[in-house]
Amino acid sequence: MIKRVLVISLALLFGLQAGFALAAATGNPDTGPGCGLGKLAWQNYPHQKTIGVQVLEATTNGTFGSGTFGISSGTSGCTNDGQVWASEKTNVFAAINFDNLAQDMAQGRGEHLSSLATLMGIPAEQQPAFFAMTQERYAFFVQAGESSPSAMVKALNDAVATQPKLAKISLNK
Amino acid sequence: MGFRSHGLEPRNSLRFIFFCCFAAVLQLSTVSAGTPAPTDPSYLRELIERARAAHLADEREWHVLLHYNRNLFGGFTSMQDDPGFFMAPEGKTNPQAELAATLTKFFSDELVGRSKQPAQCAFVARYHWLKDKLQFDDRRLPPQPCERFWRWFNEFNAETISVIFPTGFMNNPASMFGHTFLRIDAKGQTPQTRILAYTINYAAEVPPNAGPEYAFKGVFGFYPGQFSTIPYYLKVQEYRDIENRDIWEYRLDLTEQQVRRLLMHTWELGNAYFDYFFFDENCSFHILSLIEAAEPSIHLLDRFPFYTIPVDTVRLLAESGLVGEVVSRPSRSTLVRRKREAMNDEERAWLNRLIRDPAALRTERFRSFSVDQQAFILETTSDYLLMRGSGGGAEGEPFREKNKSILAARSQLKVPPREIPIEPYVKQPDLGHGTSRIGFGAGWRNDRAFEEINVRAAYQDLLDPDYGYTPNAQIEVMSFAVRHYYNESQARLERFSPLNMTSISPIDSLFQAPSWTLNLGMNTINYGSCQLCTNGYFNGGVGGAVESTLLGRQIFYAMAEVEADASKAYEDNYRIGGGGTFGMLTNLTERWKLVASGTYLRFPLGEKSDDFRWFVGQRFSLTTNLAFRIEYNHRSHDNDVLATLHLYF
Repeated sequence: MIKRVLVISLALLFGLQAGFALAAATGNPDTGPGCGLGKLAWQNYPHQKTIGVQVLEATTNGTFGSGTFGISSGTSGCTNDGQVWASEKTNVFAAINFDNLAQDMAQGRGEHLSSLATLMGIPAEQQPAFFAMTQERYAFFVQAGESSPSAMVKALNDAVATQPKLAKISLNK
Repeated sequence: MGFRSHGLEPRNSLRFIFFCCFAAVLQLSTVSAGTPAPTDPSYLRELIERARAAHLADEREWHVLLHYNRNLFGGFTSMQDDPGFFMAPEGKTNPQAELAATLTKFFSDELVGRSKQPAQCAFVARYHWLKDKLQFDDRRLPPQPCERFWRWFNEFNAETISVIFPTGFMNNPASMFGHTFLRIDAKGQTPQTRILAYTINYAAEVPPNAGPEYAFKGVFGFYPGQFSTIPYYLKVQEYRDIENRDIWEYRLDLTEQQVRRLLMHTWELGNAYFDYFFFDENCSFHILSLIEAAEPSIHLLDRFPFYTIPVDTVRLLAESGLVGEVVSRPSRSTLVRRKREAMNDEERAWLNRLIRDPAALRTERFRSFSVDQQAFILETTSDYLLMRGSGGGAEGEPFREKNKSILAARSQLKVPPREIPIEPYVKQPDLGHGTSRIGFGAGWRNDRAFEEINVRAAYQDLLDPDYGYTPNAQIEVMSFAVRHYYNESQARLERFSPLNMTSISPIDSLFQAPSWTLNLGMNTINYGSCQLCTNGYFNGGVGGAVESTLLGRQIFYAMAEVEADASKAYEDNYRIGGGGTFGMLTNLTERWKLVASGTYLRFPLGEKSDDFRWFVGQRFSLTTNLAFRIEYNHRSHDNDVLATLHLYF
C-alpha cells in the first residue's frame, strides 16, 4: 500500500497522472535512470523481503535512494542537490509516512504527527489541540489520506483553519 | 541509483523529463554564472608563492580535504577516484601541484567538477581554508556568490551532527555488521521532530538488476560509492520499520565552525566518488573522513588500516570525547516485544486474538477492560500489524486491512498512549566488547596436553557476551587457532575458519523467524588410525528455537543439517551426510553464559560413517574485554577440554 499511496500521491502532487499510471500499470520496478524525489515511488523497495532487494542491499549497505538524494550531482542535469523541494515537503512527508501518521492520529500523539504539525507550521503550544483534533476526526483524515496524502494534508490544513478549538488558541495568542 | 552509469531508456524518458523540473531553476542560476572574472596573474603568482613558502600543501588540513594518504613510495595518493575532484591533472598524487591548480581555478568562473560550478563553489571547503590561510584580498580575487551552495547549506539550518548506527541485521549478509551515517541536526529540532533532519549517507551505487557478481564487486571496490542527503524519516522507515533493526543515535558535540567545515566538505564530495570496499573503505570509513574534515586535528582514519567495522568507528568517536547524548530508537519488533512483556497473561491473550480477528474488539469481554488497557492492547496490536504489513507487498495486505479496524477503534479511546520504558534489543553498541579477540588456552585432548593461541578478526560467537550485539547471533570472520601438543616438535594449525555464522531466533505466537547456521573451515580430527589429521568442512543447517522460562531463561533450538568433510582420513578422502543438532543457550548470570549442544550426523556418501558430537561451553566475563571460558568437545573416541582466557580489542 505504501507504494500505491506514493505512486498515487506523487502523481496527483505533480499532476503527471499519465506517465505514472502507465508505469504503474506495468508494475515496472525501478530499473532505469531517474532522479528527484519521485524516484522513490518507483523503487521496488517495498518488497523488501524479496531476494532482489537483499541482493541490492548487500553491497550498498542500504542505499535507499542514494541517487535520489545525491549531493550536487550536476552533470545529470537533473538535481535538486539532494534536498526535498521546499513547497512539497509536507506532502512528501505525508506520502511516505502515511502508515505511521495514521497510527499517531489514532492514538492522539506521536513523533510522526509532531513532525507533520511542525512542517505545517503549527506552533508547539497549539500542537496538543491539533493532535486531539486529528484523533477526533481520524476516520475522515485517513479516508482523505487513502485517496491521496496531499488530500489529507489539505484536509488537515482546512481543519486547522476552521476548527474552533485551534482557531481559539490562535486567537488567544 | 545507477543514474550515471546507465543509458536513458525511452520508456523512462517521460519520468526523466518530469523529475528534471526539480532542478531546472537551480541549473539556470549556475549556467548563467556571469561574465568571466578578470584574472589577476600577478596576484595568482603571489598566492602560489606564499602557499609554497608556508608549506600549505604539507598541512594536515589539505591532506584531509583531498583525502591524501601516504603511499608505499613515500609520496601521497588520494583515495578519491573521480578525476573531476582534482584541479591538476596529476592532482591525485601531487598535493603541491593540486594546491597551485586550485588557486588558479579560484580566479576563474569556469564550471568545474561533476556538479558544474565555479571552483570556489564546487570546492568551497578548500576555498575557505585557503582564504583563511592566505588572507585573500577580495578585490584582487573576487569571491563567487555560490548561491547554490548557500541555499543547500542554509536549508539544513544545522546545529550539530549525530552519528546514526542501525544495528546489525542477520538476515542480510551486507548488513550483518550494521551501518553508519550522519544526521544533520537542525536548530530548534526536538526529540519529536528529529526525523525531519537530513542525513549524510555513503553507499555503493549498485546498478539495478545486479546479479550474483555484486558480492564480489562490492567487496573489492568495483562499485562507486557516493554521498547523498536522504531525509532521516526515510532511513528510520528503512531500518526501524522494515528491517526491524534498533537504531542508536550518537549526538556529537561539535562547534558551529566544525559543523560548517563538515558540511562544506560534504558539498565537495558531491563531485566525487570513492570505489566502495565492503570491508575497508566502506560507509563507516568515509563517515569518519567527514568528521576529520570537521576537525582535522583528530586522527580517526589512521586507526583503521585494514578494515572498518561500524561499531568500532562509533567506539572510537566516543573515546575521542566527541560524543554527547546517546539515545536508542527501538525497532518495531522491539516495541512489540517490550509492550508484550509489560502485559499480563489476559492482555497477551487478547493481543493474539485481535491480531487474528480484529472484530473481537467489539465483544463485551474486551470492552470490560479499562480504557487504558484497551488502548494499550490496541496500540500493541497495531504495532504488530504494521510490522507485518510494512513494505507494501501483497503478502502484507491482510495485516494492513486489519490495522485499519484496530486504529479506527483506537481513535475512539481518548486516552494518551501508555508510556513504558522500551529497552532496546541490542544494547548500546559502543559499550560492548571489542570486535577482535585473542585467546590463550590450554587443555587436554584425550590424554595429551596442549597449549593454544586463538585469534579472531571479528566479531561475536554464541558464548561471547551479548551486550551491544544482536543476542544469540554468531558471526565469526577469519578465526584460527594454533596448538602445540605435548611431546610434538612443532605447533600445528588446529582450526581455521573464514566464516562461521549462526542465528538463533526464538519462535512464539508472534515471531516466526527461522534459526540457521552456516560454517566453513578446517579443523583437526582423530579418526580411525589417522591422528591429528586436517579436515575441511562445510556445514549448514536450518531449524527453529523456543524460549523457555522454566529455570531462569533458556533458549532451546533444533536444526536439520547437512555436512561435507574432506580429509585423507576418509576412504576416497571425503564424506557427505546429514543429521541434526539440538542445543540450549542460557545466561546463568549477567556474566556467566552456558551453551550445550548435541549433534548426530550420518554420512552415506564417501566414507560411510556416523558421528555423535557433544559440546558444553561456559563463559565467565571478568570485565567487558576480558573473559574466561571452558569448553568440552566430544566426538567419537575423541575428547577435548579447553580452558581459554580471551581478550577483546
